Amino acid sequence: MATGLDRRAFAVGLAASVAAPCVARTAVLTDAAARAVPIPDRVTRVFPSGPPAAILLYTLAPELLIGWPRANRAEEREFLLPDIGARPEVGRLTGRGNTANLEVVLAVKPDLILDVGTVDATYVSLADRVQQQTGIPYALLDGRFASIVETYRDLGLLVGRRDDAEKLARYAQATMDTMTQRVAGLPAARRPRVYYARGPRGLETALGGSINVETIDFLGAHNVAGDRRGGLSNVSIEQVLLWDPEVIVTIDRDFAAGVVRDPTWAAVAAVRAGRVHLSPKLPFGWVDFPPSVNRLIGLWWLAKILYPDQFPEDLRALTRDFYAMFYHVTLNDQQIERVLAGRH
Amino acid sequence: MILEGRALSIGYRDRLVGRDLDVALGEGEVLALLGPNGGGKTTLLKTLLGLLPPRAGDVRCGERPLAAISIRERARLLAYVPQSHVATFAFPAETVVLMGRTAHGNLFSRPTAKDRSIALAAMQQFGISHLAERPYTMISGGERQLVLLARALAQEPRFVVLDEPTASLDFGNQGKVMREIRSLAGAGHGVLFTTHDPNQALRLADRAYLLRDGARVAEGKVDSVLTRDNLEALYDAPIRTLTDRTTSETAFLPA
Amino acid sequence: MSRSALPGVAIALLILFAGVAFAFTLGRYPIGLGDVVDVLAARLSGRPPTVPPTVESVIWQVRGPRVVAAALIGAALAVAGTAFQGLFRNPLVSPDILGASSGAALGAVVGIYFSLGVLAIQGVAFVGGLAAVAAVYLIGSAVPARDPILLLVLTGVVVGALLGAGVGLVKYLADPYNQLPAMTFWLLGSLAATGVSDLVPLFGPVALGTLVLVALRWRMNVMSLTEEEARALGVPTGPLRVAIVAAATLVTSASVATAGIIGWVGLIVPHLARSLVGPDFARLLPTAAILGGGYLLFIDTIARTASSVEIPLGILTAVIGTPFFIWLLASVQRTWS
Repeated sequence: MATGLDRRAFAVGLAASVAAPCVARTAVLTDAAARAVPIPDRVTRVFPSGPPAAILLYTLAPELLIGWPRANRAEEREFLLPDIGARPEVGRLTGRGNTANLEVVLAVKPDLILDVGTVDATYVSLADRVQQQTGIPYALLDGRFASIVETYRDLGLLVGRRDDAEKLARYAQATMDTMTQRVAGLPAARRPRVYYARGPRGLETALGGSINVETIDFLGAHNVAGDRRGGLSNVSIEQVLLWDPEVIVTIDRDFAAGVVRDPTWAAVAAVRAGRVHLSPKLPFGWVDFPPSVNRLIGLWWLAKILYPDQFPEDLRALTRDFYAMFYHVTLNDQQIERVLAGRH
Repeated sequence: MILEGRALSIGYRDRLVGRDLDVALGEGEVLALLGPNGGGKTTLLKTLLGLLPPRAGDVRCGERPLAAISIRERARLLAYVPQSHVATFAFPAETVVLMGRTAHGNLFSRPTAKDRSIALAAMQQFGISHLAERPYTMISGGERQLVLLARALAQEPRFVVLDEPTASLDFGNQGKVMREIRSLAGAGHGVLFTTHDPNQALRLADRAYLLRDGARVAEGKVDSVLTRDNLEALYDAPIRTLTDRTTSETAFLPA
Repeated sequence: MSRSALPGVAIALLILFAGVAFAFTLGRYPIGLGDVVDVLAARLSGRPPTVPPTVESVIWQVRGPRVVAAALIGAALAVAGTAFQGLFRNPLVSPDILGASSGAALGAVVGIYFSLGVLAIQGVAFVGGLAAVAAVYLIGSAVPARDPILLLVLTGVVVGALLGAGVGLVKYLADPYNQLPAMTFWLLGSLAATGVSDLVPLFGPVALGTLVLVALRWRMNVMSLTEEEARALGVPTGPLRVAIVAAATLVTSASVATAGIIGWVGLIVPHLARSLVGPDFARLLPTAAILGGGYLLFIDTIARTASSVEIPLGILTAVIGTPFFIWLLASVQRTWS
């Protein structure tokens, strides 16, 4: 009957308008998960769902960052914009260890929730769910190293900083192109065998394809543990001796200090040649985690370690430029030394 | 030597079972403890053994209060044959009997040759030497009870206390175990046992102690104490007496 | 005495020696039996060995300590398990029953959370294990009970659950990139990074605890009886119980602090040993120690040679132990009623 249809249509229309997010939409972005994310008119506050998102946002538009997944320590804040670096801890919404409460998210009233990382079914469903529950646009961008350029462009679109994003994207593209070109010509023999060491005894490593060694793989080096695919794993020293890597990259300070004196490791080629390198980590790790754009400067560092002849550039100058452009801080010589030394 | 409880109040932390009881057992005599279920027989037994502290009064062994005697020395004076023995592990019968020698060594000592020979002798006495290597869990109920008796004997005690020694035995084995109990007294041990069967008391014991609701009903030589009146008062049930006309032995039956 | 224990003990020793031989010759780094013999002979005679220095280094610094640790820990857990099975009158009991493993686990993850050094983490784990059992014992004895054993078990279960919740909480708060993988791997048990320096804090407590338990083995038969019977036979059950629990906890805590949580050894090896020499604790305890060492040696060798990455010991002992145990249940039930 006509009246019934009208009433039902009216009810549906009312429900739809009530359930719709109260944000005026003008455009839509297709994010890395092929989801249609409404682009808010004005973005003044963004909630990062994890460390990679927080770092990415900080580099592009630091003042939009509501807070950090984990509060920054004093030694890290020294290398960040003072008022931004000191913003409060808001917990993490995704990834291992979700500690953010959705109500907290709502209470801080973000215009946008940003997630940068793995794009698989779990994270996609989480994105959809949170967007539906909170009505806040939730963008899921690809956190893989190779996708940095696209991710920057997407983010620029979302927060209305297309020009700035383009600058950063171009830098990233240029860096990656330089790397690829110079390494492309090298025969397999010139590509070093690398062992990536974590943990105080250096016996935790990353297997093939793991996000922890993305940049090492990108540079065409050979991860000795890469024959097996997977994430993190533990090995015995015997296995390392068998692999006999030429270069060791570690993120653990105690291991780096102790390995030169350890008689068991003395036989390893990398130790004999003095090619055990401790990754810088201030304010964010240069090689491993968080797996975000912070690894871009790490590319130069790694490249110089792995192919010293191919990359004669001055790392100090590069560091100064990168920190100014991406972290918005100017470093003096002393600070650069501290960062490169890998200590806290 | 006399094992005695004076002015004993017995029971558990939350429950008083009996009060003002006097019990005495001398070496070479057999005392039967009779009474209905829940009357306090087992509690009294355990108190006399020192396994349960008395709520009042004391237990003495040879004029020495039991509380002042170490657990180890107590085991050399008193042996306990429980009604049933929970066997978690299937120790061979000989090992079970050998455990009776525990109190004769110190905390770390291993069984000596003397210990083994005493254990073997105890098994021989009860005619169960052939069971030495059989797991305890795989012998019959009667044989198990004999193993526990042998264990008690191996302790070389002055007194042997048994809780319902024939309760779970078949009729044939009952007679056998009863004979062994009698022989224990003959060898000079003081024997105390609880039983539900007044006939058993009549045949085996020298004296009887009737316990009901934690109070003494009667005590004394079996012939004078085990009468129909006393038993009816004890069990609060009609009892019939049967007398053998030729031997004039008496037996009791529930009426 | 009943049938001789000799064949059973001989088998146990054989397994131990085979375990040692396998452990020394198998590994990711290729080393032959000849190399091992050569290095040993060289050390004894004082002349330099003919093998390359790397091989010598692997034998003395890597495999040697790992073999010793595996044998010690295997023996320790087996002895503790045997003692507890007697004390708790239950053949299904393992050394973890009073919460030693849970306490050590909490200590270790807290140590990892505060980024302590390796030795400090082991120390906190060791203390955690001791403290957990002490707490269980104190709580258990403060409550008066007819059956002190049952009360201990229940308290152990409750305290263990509480400590497990604590472990969960620390894992939740941990940095998921750095600390959490370390905690997870520790909790699964491993001898991967064992060096000579780990043997020192391991040896003392394990030797002391095992010695005490072995010395008390003649009384354990009686301790496996009911409280009343044991006391009637002249054994001071209270103090003896404390001694056995303390010694078993010492060896368990030290083992868990060094190698993480390795289950199923303390449960299965006593049964294997029982099928070899019978239930008499006097023979069972030493046999279990020997057998436990060999058992864990074999499993640890598999853990480090099956693939290029280490398989956590706790997983292997469970995977190997469970079907083994089912087979045991089916075939050797006569050794316990």
